[in-house]
Amino acid sequence: MLAPRSLKELGGKGMNKKYEVGYHFPSLTKPAVTKVQLAKYAGASGDFNPLHLDDRVGKEAGIGGVIAHGMLIMGMAGEAIGSWVPRISLKSFSVRFKAMTVPGEVITLTGRVVDKEKTDNGSLIICQVEAKNHSDEIKLSGRFAALL
Amino acid sequence: MVVEGKKGYRFKPYSMVVERGKIKEFAMAVGDDNPIYYEKDAATKAGFKDITVPPTFFTVIDMWAGPNFEEICRELELDPVMVLHGEQEYEYFYNIYPGDEIKTVSTVQDVATRTGSMGGMNIYLMETNYYNQNGQKVMIARSKIIERVRGQRNE
Repeated sequence: MLAPRSLKELGGKGMNKKYEVGYHFPSLTKPAVTKVQLAKYAGASGDFNPLHLDDRVGKEAGIGGVIAHGMLIMGMAGEAIGSWVPRISLKSFSVRFKAMTVPGEVITLTGRVVDKEKTDNGSLIICQVEAKNHSDEIKLSGRFAALL
Repeated sequence: MVVEGKKGYRFKPYSMVVERGKIKEFAMAVGDDNPIYYEKDAATKAGFKDITVPPTFFTVIDMWAGPNFEEICRELELDPVMVLHGEQEYEYFYNIYPGDEIKTVSTVQDVATRTGSMGGMNIYLMETNYYNQNGQKVMIARSKIIERVRGQRNE
């Protein structure tokens, strides 16, 4: 466990204001998902479910082609969280998958602080995170907690 | 039904040494360019003792070292085409670094059968506990796996 003191140093000026309830983190928009990215993610993660790699399998499943790994979208949410709070402060992260993502879609991650409580080890903030496409379809929604 | 019988099912434990290159490969695939996953200097400035892993990296350990999708389906008797990943949750306790050897204990915590507007479904709650080489529990992952049930009307 890291002492809260050093986290304050890491957060720098204005850190406290940033983590108040209701604060909206700056949104993160990712480049459009591509089939090449799905291939890279399959190799990196080890998830070679053909639904993510082979259009024929996607068509057979009635989806029309390949779909992105849900965990890739969660990974993008993880990237956003790492830009919003110090990575070392992250205590929990959960999502509910809501919709499939197909190549060509542009994913934007948004987040805000929904709760804050004092603990013996510092302030625990509870935040919401959402991934949406360009037409505001929610791909996943979730929560994370960070100890500051 | 067979599904209730899967409650308490324990997967064969698996383990994996976390490799520096695998961390980079995974972060690059996600498109996460946070330098704490690539450069030791950046990571130590952020409070770590070496580069660390992205928050969803544990899927790498599951997928590369654990049972793959087909094996999970076979062991739990799931219909692969009908399986959806409903929810994923992580709780973090200790930092993970290159060279750590992570061991897992993975079980089916609960199973349930529901009938909704989209038809029937079987819901599996899986939990994986991850331990490092010092025996510390570094993380818990919980997944909700949904298996839609094919047309079961008046069969």
